[in-house]
Amino acid sequence: MSDYKAVVIGGSAGSFAVVLKMLANLKPTFDLPIIICMHRLKHIRSGLVESLNVKSSKEVIEPYDKQRIEKGLIYLAPSNYHMFIEFDGTISLSTEDMNNQSRPSIDYTLSSAADAYRDKCIGIILTGANKDGAKGLKDISDKGGFTIVQDPKTADVPTMPKAALEVMKPNLILSPEQITDYLNKL
Amino acid sequence: MDAKEFLVQMKSRTGYDFCDYSSLSITRRLEKICEENGATYEQLLSKLVADKVLLAKVVEDITVNTTELFRDPEVWISLYKTMYQRLPASGPITFWHIGCSVGLETYSSLILLKEVGVLDRVRAFGTDLNPRVINVAKLGRYAYKFNSHFIKNFDEVMKNIGSSSKFEDYFDIDEKADTITVKPFLSAVPKFMQQNLVQDKVPFPYKVDVVFVRNVLIYFNDALQAKVMQMINTKMYDEGMLVLGKQELIPNRYSGQYKQLGFYHKRM
Ligand SMILES: C[S@@+](CC[C@H](N)C(=O)[O-])C[C@H]1O[C@@H](n2cnc3c(N)ncnc32)[C@H](O)[C@@H]1O
Repeated sequence: MSDYKAVVIGGSAGSFAVVLKMLANLKPTFDLPIIICMHRLKHIRSGLVESLNVKSSKEVIEPYDKQRIEKGLIYLAPSNYHMFIEFDGTISLSTEDMNNQSRPSIDYTLSSAADAYRDKCIGIILTGANKDGAKGLKDISDKGGFTIVQDPKTADVPTMPKAALEVMKPNLILSPEQITDYLNKL
Repeated sequence: MDAKEFLVQMKSRTGYDFCDYSSLSITRRLEKICEENGATYEQLLSKLVADKVLLAKVVEDITVNTTELFRDPEVWISLYKTMYQRLPASGPITFWHIGCSVGLETYSSLILLKEVGVLDRVRAFGTDLNPRVINVAKLGRYAYKFNSHFIKNFDEVMKNIGSSSKFEDYFDIDEKADTITVKPFLSAVPKFMQQNLVQDKVPFPYKVDVVFVRNVLIYFNDALQAKVMQMINTKMYDEGMLVLGKQELIPNRYSGQYKQLGFYHKRM
């Protein structure tokens, strides 16, 4: 596989179904860690990781603070915590104030991934009703990472991909199916 | 000057010692503070030394005091069904909430103790380094607006533990004054005290049955985590129980001394 170290994905409204399908269609040999930060509806606190696990051939976990990032695993930001990627290859969590009305904040996860992985990171922004994530994706792009934005035409709620496109130019603008194909060909 | 040097200087010039906070995450918060104040580390340091109000604000930003009533309701529901049913059957039961912030975690626990029917045997202590949050905790008074999730969390917990208690059984709501106040029968129970884990001894003499240290150790490095675990172990009865934040594990060196039972850890 390529010399990328991780795939980092952000999304909010509508992104759960997209992620579910992506994980289900990812080839079993895909072994980059996938780090996902999704906003959750306040009333669905739990159950997300369970439903993702049913569909995914890989294990999906909500990491503990300072947990090491390993190949072949999928990390989902736990509800009510910000999730950061650290230089030493671990995840750190924080209960700091909301950012863009969100905890977890996609900007925080993506920006920290940009710092930690620089050009060895693939950043993806999916459908969502909020501008959180735009700055983080720009940071990944600025550090030389590879960036993909879900084509707003294919998004349930195009606000988030549009916000990203307003502040940066991604390498690719793709439909969810094309994103999965792209990852499978890495 | 980098973040590390800033912290060393801050310690010697203000007395606040954050040198053993998890370095990556504290650096991130310090950079944000510098950005917000349009200052370099050097400039921030001289401002801090001169300006007490700014110092207090920066200490708050560094130490992160976010909290809620029944934060992560699923945790409290589970604790009610497990840990709260396994408390000592007679005599006083002592609780210690470390990093208690404005007291909402302590009051959440006291509500469950009332529901279990043992409140009259409970001694509860809440400690935090920040004098402002300690004063709010003592008052037990919070803004009503912006905190509607308190009531939602409360109702979710009560429903799931099969209780018919109402929010108004424990709190007085004053919409005009925009306040929620813990009822006196409950706010009279806990003692809130200032304690900085980095340098202060535990400020009360009793051994404890249950320790809450939620979302506090995540901000510390290994050395300071170990120091706090040592402090807890010294204070806790052999059969004691420990509650960490939802996404925290017992620090490595101490994990052999506790057994995880759902959302709490029993000392072995
Ligand atoms: C994120 S809050 C957790 C509040 C509560 N335990 C909860 O989980 O809802 C962290 C608290 O730890 C306190 N804290 C941070 N450093 C501390 C120290 N050195 N000594 C004592 N308390 C500290 C902060 O003031 C803050 O109130």
